[in-house]
Amino acid sequence: MPSLISRGASRIRRDPRILKLPPYLSLLCILVGVVWLFLLPKNEYSRRTYISENALLPGQVHTYFGGSDQNVFRAYKHEVNALVHQSNIEINDKLESILKGLGLKVGRQNFTYHSAGHVYSGENTYAILQAPRGDATEAIVLVAAWKNAKGELNRNGVALLLTLARYFKRWSLWSKDIIFLLTPDSIAGPQAWVDAYHDAHDSSRVDSLPLKSGALQGAVAIDYVREDRFESVHIVYDGINGQLPNLDLINSVVNIAGGQMGMGTGLQEMWRHDDKYPDRLRTMLRGMLKQGLGLASGPHSSFIPYHVDAVTLQPFGNGWQDEMAMGRVIEGTFRSLNNLLEHLHQSFFFYLLMHPHRFVSIGTYLPSAMLVAANFTIMAIALWLKSGQPGLTSTSGKAENKKSDDEKSDSKTSSQTVERDLFLPLGFVTGCQFLSVVPLYLFNNAPDGMLTLAFITFAALNTILPHLSSHLLTKYYTPTIQQYQLIKSFSLLLLGMFLSSLATLNFSLALLVGLLACPLTFMQPWPRSPVMRGICMLLLDAVAPTSVLVAGAVYWDVSLGTVLREAAFAWDVSGMYSPVVVWCVWWPAWLAGSVTVLGKPPPTPSSGPKRKGEKKAEGVEGKPVSK
Amino acid sequence: MNGGKAIVGRTSTRTAVLNLYLGAAVLRLALFTLFRGLPDLLTGRVEISTPVTSFKRLQEGLFLYNHNVSPYDGGVYHQAPLFLPLFSLLPDFSTLPVFTYLLYIAIDLLSANALLKIADAGEAGSSALFTSLRRDKRWSGLVVAAVFLFNPFTIATCIGRSTSVFTTCAILHAVAKAIAGAPFSAMVALSFAAYLSMYPLLLLPPLVLLSFDRQLPARATKSLAQFATSHVAIVGGVLAALFGMSYLITGSWEFLPSTYGVQLTLSDLAPNVGLWWYFFVEMFDSFRSFFLAVFWMHLSCYVGALTLRIRRQPLVVITLLMGIFNIFKPYPSISDSSLFLAMIPLYRHVFPLMRYTFLVAAIIMYTTFLGPAFYHLWIYAGSGNANFFYAITLVWGLGLSLLVCDLTFAVLRDEWEVERPEMVGKDIRQI
Repeated sequence: MPSLISRGASRIRRDPRILKLPPYLSLLCILVGVVWLFLLPKNEYSRRTYISENALLPGQVHTYFGGSDQNVFRAYKHEVNALVHQSNIEINDKLESILKGLGLKVGRQNFTYHSAGHVYSGENTYAILQAPRGDATEAIVLVAAWKNAKGELNRNGVALLLTLARYFKRWSLWSKDIIFLLTPDSIAGPQAWVDAYHDAHDSSRVDSLPLKSGALQGAVAIDYVREDRFESVHIVYDGINGQLPNLDLINSVVNIAGGQMGMGTGLQEMWRHDDKYPDRLRTMLRGMLKQGLGLASGPHSSFIPYHVDAVTLQPFGNGWQDEMAMGRVIEGTFRSLNNLLEHLHQSFFFYLLMHPHRFVSIGTYLPSAMLVAANFTIMAIALWLKSGQPGLTSTSGKAENKKSDDEKSDSKTSSQTVERDLFLPLGFVTGCQFLSVVPLYLFNNAPDGMLTLAFITFAALNTILPHLSSHLLTKYYTPTIQQYQLIKSFSLLLLGMFLSSLATLNFSLALLVGLLACPLTFMQPWPRSPVMRGICMLLLDAVAPTSVLVAGAVYWDVSLGTVLREAAFAWDVSGMYSPVVVWCVWWPAWLAGSVTVLGKPPPTPSSGPKRKGEKKAEGVEGKPVSK
Repeated sequence: MNGGKAIVGRTSTRTAVLNLYLGAAVLRLALFTLFRGLPDLLTGRVEISTPVTSFKRLQEGLFLYNHNVSPYDGGVYHQAPLFLPLFSLLPDFSTLPVFTYLLYIAIDLLSANALLKIADAGEAGSSALFTSLRRDKRWSGLVVAAVFLFNPFTIATCIGRSTSVFTTCAILHAVAKAIAGAPFSAMVALSFAAYLSMYPLLLLPPLVLLSFDRQLPARATKSLAQFATSHVAIVGGVLAALFGMSYLITGSWEFLPSTYGVQLTLSDLAPNVGLWWYFFVEMFDSFRSFFLAVFWMHLSCYVGALTLRIRRQPLVVITLLMGIFNIFKPYPSISDSSLFLAMIPLYRHVFPLMRYTFLVAAIIMYTTFLGPAFYHLWIYAGSGNANFFYAITLVWGLGLSLLVCDLTFAVLRDEWEVERPEMVGKDIRQI
C-alpha cells in the first residue's frame, strides 16, 4: 500500500499539468484574499465589540463634572484666549503658573527636531497629580496640544484640560498618578515627551524630563477646536506604523459616551454611519489605509509604540452636547483606567474596526494578507522548479521532445535536474536590494526645497532604469530564459517573505503593497512580442511605487512636496518605517519584475513556438530522486 | 556562486585571496565605524548573543576582573576565564573600541583562511578511504571562504562581537590542521575550542579519525587504537593545562560550574534560537534533571552513530555534527549556523543530489525575518507572547534539520553510487 501511494504520488508529481497550475493558484490566492477582505464587514464574519477586562467597569460610576465647573471652564478659556498670540515660552509660563496654583508639580521640556531642512522645536509643559491612594508606580496621561494635527488652535481642549486638572485634584479616589501634558503641537511635542519619559530620547535634541511618575497605563488626548455644541465623539486610534491601542480602551470610551452620556461615537471620519455594509466597508478601508501609511494621526499616536494605549477624542456633528459633556466622558474614561489592576492586555491589539460596535480580529482578517503574500511564494517555488526542468537549456528542441517521449515510456530512468546558473540571478537581485538604499536615503535626507525636484528626477530615472539595466544585462551577459526565471523567482521569494513578516506587524501595509505588487507575479519575458512587452511594461509603470505615490497625491489633492515632507518628518521624528517597505521591499521587486518583462533571452526551446515542446518535456521529473 | 566561473584554478591565487580578505575586513570595519548604533544593537539581539557568548556579559566580567573581584560573582559572566586577560590586554573598549573591532575582524579572517585550506585540500570530495565520482565539481577555497565571509550571519556575529567566533575559529583550524597532516596541532586547536565552549569536545571522535586518515606517510601510526589513545591524551593534557591557567587567573575553581555548569544545567533561561529554553521554562522542577540528561544524551548520541556510519568521510561527520549541534545545543546562536553554513559549500559535488535546497533556503530566509518580527511583537509591542518567538525557532530548527538530513542523504547516495555503479542516476523508492 505505501508503495502504491508513493507510486501514485510520484505519478502526480510527474504530471506535466502540475507545473501549469501555479499561475492559476497564485491568481486564486489573490482573488480569495481580496474577496475575503470584502466579506469581513458582513455580520457573519465580524463580531460585536465587548469589554474583556472586567476591572474597567466603564460607565458604572456617577460622574460629577459639571455645575460650577462650567464657570471654571469659562475662566480658563479667557486665560487661554488671552494667550493666543503669544510665544510658546510665554504660554508655558502662564500655564505653569495656573497648574502650580492648583497645587501640582510642574515640569517643562525643550525639544528640537530637524527634518527635511526644517526645524521643529518647542517646549512641553506637564503637571503631575500625585495619586492620593497610590504609590506613584502607575500613571495615566491627559494630553492637550496647543494646536491639533491640522494646525488649528485647540482652545477648548486646553481649557478643558486645565478645568479637569482642577477638578481631579479635588477627588481623593485616584489610585494612579495623573499627568497633564500640554504640548505646542500634536506630533513632535508628544513624541519628545514620551521618548524622554521612557529614556529613549536623543539627549542632544530632546531634554530629559525633570519630573517623572510611574509606568504609563493609558493616555487620552483632547482635540476640541470647535466652539459650538456637538453631537458625538470621534475616536482617533491609529498609532505610528499601524500599531493600535488595546480594543478595550476604545470600547470603554464608546461605552461611556454612548451608554452613560447618550452621545454617539464615530470612527475614521465617518460623520454618518448607518451600520450597513457600505458604511462598514468604508470605515474599515479608511482604517486600513491610515494603518498602512503608518503616520501619526494625533497626540495619542506617539504613545502607542511604547505600549501605552491611547486615543484622541474629538467632538463632531451638530447637537446639544457641551464642554461639560466632553469632560464627563473623559472623567468616566479616567475612572475606568483608574480601576485597572494591570496593564490593558485582555482584549485585542490587532483588529479592524468597521463601526464603534463591530470589529474583526486578527485571526479572521490575517489570512487575506497572508494569501496575497503566499501568491508570490507559490510563484517563486513554481519558477524554481521550472528553471530546473531539462529542456530549457538544451539547444535542440526536437531531440528533447523525442527524449522526453522516451522517458515517458520508461519513467524509471528519470533524468537529473538541470544545474541552475545561480550566480547572475542572485547577483542581480542582491544588487537591486542594495540599490534601494539610494531612494530611501535620498527622500529621507533631502532638504524640503529639493524634495519635489528629487522625486521628479527619481521618477524619470525610474522609468528609464529598467530599460537601461535590461539593455546592459542583455549586452554583457545575455541571460537565458532560465536565468530570467530565477531572477523572478528570487525577487518574488524575497517579496513574499518580507510581506508575510510585515503582515504580522502591520497588516494593512502588507496587504496594500501586496496588492499593488501582484502584477509582478504574472510577468515574463516576451522575446518575440514587442506589443505584449510594451503592454506589460506600461502596466508595470502604472503600478510603480513612484506612480502610485503621484496617483495618491493627486487623488487626495495634496501636493507632492507635502507628502514627501510629511513622510520625511514621520521618519525622522516618529520612527515610521513605511518608507523602508516602499523602497527596500516593493521597489526592488518592481525593478526585478520590469527587467524580467524587458528581457530578451536568446531563443531556446522554451521561447516562442518551442513552448509546446517544453511543455511536453515537462513530463520529466524536476527532481532527481523521489522518496 | 556558479561552479564554472568560480574555479579559476584548483587552488586560489594569492592576490585574489588577499583582495577577498581586504574586502571582508573593510566591509566589517565600515559597518563597525559608520553605523555607530549597529554593534550595540546586534550585541543585544538574542539571536546573536547567548548567555554564554554575549559581549555585554564579557564586558561585565572584564570589569569585575579588572577590579579584582571574581568575574563569576553576580552570575552574569559565563564564559571562559582566559578571555579576561586577552581582552584586558586590549586598550579600554569604551575609549578605543577599534582594537576590539580589529581583533574580531582578524578572527573572522583566520577562520576564513582555515576554511580556504580545508576547501583547497579537497577532502570533502575525496578522503583517504573514499573518492566521490563527482569530486571534479567543486568550488575553490576562494569561493568557499567568500561565502563564509560574506554570509550575513557571519557578519552579524562579527559585528555583534559574540565570543563564539573564537570557538568557530578554533574548530576550523582543528579541521584544517587535521587535513594538513598535523594531528598534534589539530588536537590543540580542538582543546581550545572545547575549553571555550565545551560542546566541540564531541567533535573529537571524527576529528581523531580525520587526523588518522590524513597522517603524513613518513610519521604514520598504523594502529588506530594507539593513535586515538595518544591523541585523546593530548587533548586531555592541553585541557588540563588550560584549566590550570584558568585556576591561576581566577584563583578558584569557581569558573567550572559558572561556565560549563551553566551549559550542562541550563541555569540561564534567556530566550535564544534554540529549542531548550522554552521547554525548560515550562517544565516542572521535578523533571528538570531527567530532561537535562535526555537532552544532553540526545545531543551526544549522534556522535558515535555518525562516526561509525560515515567512517570513510570523517569531514562529513564533522559537518553534520556541526549542523546537529547548531540545532540541539543548549545555547545556539546564528554564529553556529554560520559555521555550519560555511561547511556546506565544501559539498558542492553532492548539491545535485540534494532535494530540498530551495525549501531550506526559503525556510531559513523566512525565519530570519519572522524571528525578529515576532520577538518584537513579544518584547516591545507587547501584542504577542513567547509562543510567537518559540514557534519561529521551531521552524528555524526544522529548516536546519532539513538541511542536515538532505546533506546526509546526498552524501550517502553519493557513497552508494560508488558501491553500485549500475544504479547511477536511478530513482530510489521506499518499499
